[in-house]
Amino acid sequence: MRVLSLLALLALWQLAAAAAGNPSFVPAPRAVWDQLVLLSTTHDGVRGYSGHLLAEHLGISLRRILVGSALGVAAGLVIGVVLGAVPWIRLVAEPVVTFVRALPPLAYFSLLIIWFGIDETPKLWLLAIAALPPVAVATAAAVHGAPTGLVEAARALGASRWNVIRDVVLPSALPEIFTGVRLAVGVAYSSVVAAETVNGVPGIGGMVRDAQRYLQTDVVVLGLLAIGLSGLLIDGLLRAAETRLIPWRGRT
Amino acid sequence: MSSRPDPAAAPAVADEDAAAVRLHEVGHVYDGAGGPVAALGPISLTVPSGTFLVLVGASGCGKSTLLRLVAGFEKPTSGTVLTGGAEPVPGRGAGIVFQQPRLFPWKTVGGNVELALRYAGVPRAERARRVPELLERVGLHDVADRRIWQISGGQQQRVAIARALAGDDPLLLLDEPFAALDALTRERLQEDLRRVSAQTGRTSVFVTHSVEEAVFLGSRVVVLTRRPGRIALDLEVGLPRTGIEPDELRALPEYAALRAEVGHAVRAAAA
Repeated sequence: MRVLSLLALLALWQLAAAAAGNPSFVPAPRAVWDQLVLLSTTHDGVRGYSGHLLAEHLGISLRRILVGSALGVAAGLVIGVVLGAVPWIRLVAEPVVTFVRALPPLAYFSLLIIWFGIDETPKLWLLAIAALPPVAVATAAAVHGAPTGLVEAARALGASRWNVIRDVVLPSALPEIFTGVRLAVGVAYSSVVAAETVNGVPGIGGMVRDAQRYLQTDVVVLGLLAIGLSGLLIDGLLRAAETRLIPWRGRT
Repeated sequence: MSSRPDPAAAPAVADEDAAAVRLHEVGHVYDGAGGPVAALGPISLTVPSGTFLVLVGASGCGKSTLLRLVAGFEKPTSGTVLTGGAEPVPGRGAGIVFQQPRLFPWKTVGGNVELALRYAGVPRAERARRVPELLERVGLHDVADRRIWQISGGQQQRVAIARALAGDDPLLLLDEPFAALDALTRERLQEDLRRVSAQTGRTSVFVTHSVEEAVFLGSRVVVLTRRPGRIALDLEVGLPRTGIEPDELRALPEYAALRAEVGHAVRAAAA
């Protein structure tokens, strides 16, 4: 079924390319495929795109996404637990989180460049800031809504305040936290192109941006496909981890 | 058979006794949607060590409130509650079984019991030994590695009882623990609880709305009036606690007489 719909999509793409009749506007699947082969090999003494193979561009972007969202998730978890557990901090800090969440990454990227230069640091900051709010909001909501029955049961067994957080509140929040993490990685993914607008090569976002400048539409499309497909893969991995880590999801 | 407890003798015992529960003029009022609601009392009650006290009454008579006060989850708005001679604090001195099992789904069956032992300060090596022991005591075999949702509701409530027994607290509090179970399972759990209780001899307070359950389990039965709950009947149950089969017990003429007396009191108190 999936294979069939994929084939249908390819056919549709081919038709659209033929109808447009302009490869700079809609490149044909074949042209994108050729670029894939070209960018994955050394040809005429040129290595991939701008001296890096496609896999290298993608690998570097993935590394940024991974490190950036890991930092964002870690910070979001801590902030979320505090927001969920301490009412007055929630009152003060929640608008700040919502504010940051509403900002498009490109908007604060300029500021990050002024502060941190144009190398890796501002890129990781951008991705971390983008990934933080979904985790913080999900964690705060889950911690705040921890099942009172289970908290009471733990207290009845002699659990300390810290025991209750570690053994009841956090595990019961885990399903929602995980949803937050998946959202966060998604946001980091969609922000990577923004993060790589400045000094982004090597990097898949930088590659797409350069290709756009030179109207290499087939490379742009290839880059988009690489980002999208690797995103699907990562989300699949996260989901698999979720079923392993949270076997009780949906059973309470 | 049945007689009223000697009011003069009971408090004297309780003063010295760490396991006993004492309620003095306890009343509780909470804020309802339409203003303050008097849920309970005033009630004075002394439970000597080793008693299996069953509180019985219609729904909304404040019996669960009374249990929450004894557990220390709430403070009474008037009067004093003492367990073991001190103000009750949750997690100190009393194991609690709730109406729902309230097990932790992220832990296995054994993991739930193990956690209770850990909170009770039992060292790791001993915990590994005591988990199967506690599960055996409530009639569970080979379930330690199962997930909570892989065992039946009756088994879950057995685990909850094992968990409440883990801390070796002098007091056991049970809030309608069998109300959500089917009749057959309920009867089997009642029988097993009666057996476990006779073995441990632990002071227990059991809340129920079932007259049958009260007479079957209790060594003393207290009937509460409707809200605000007061004592309508306080009955010492003279039935044998050990060496008798459940069916034999239920067939005793004294059993039938007690059930009729308590049933009558419950109906009168609810009217």
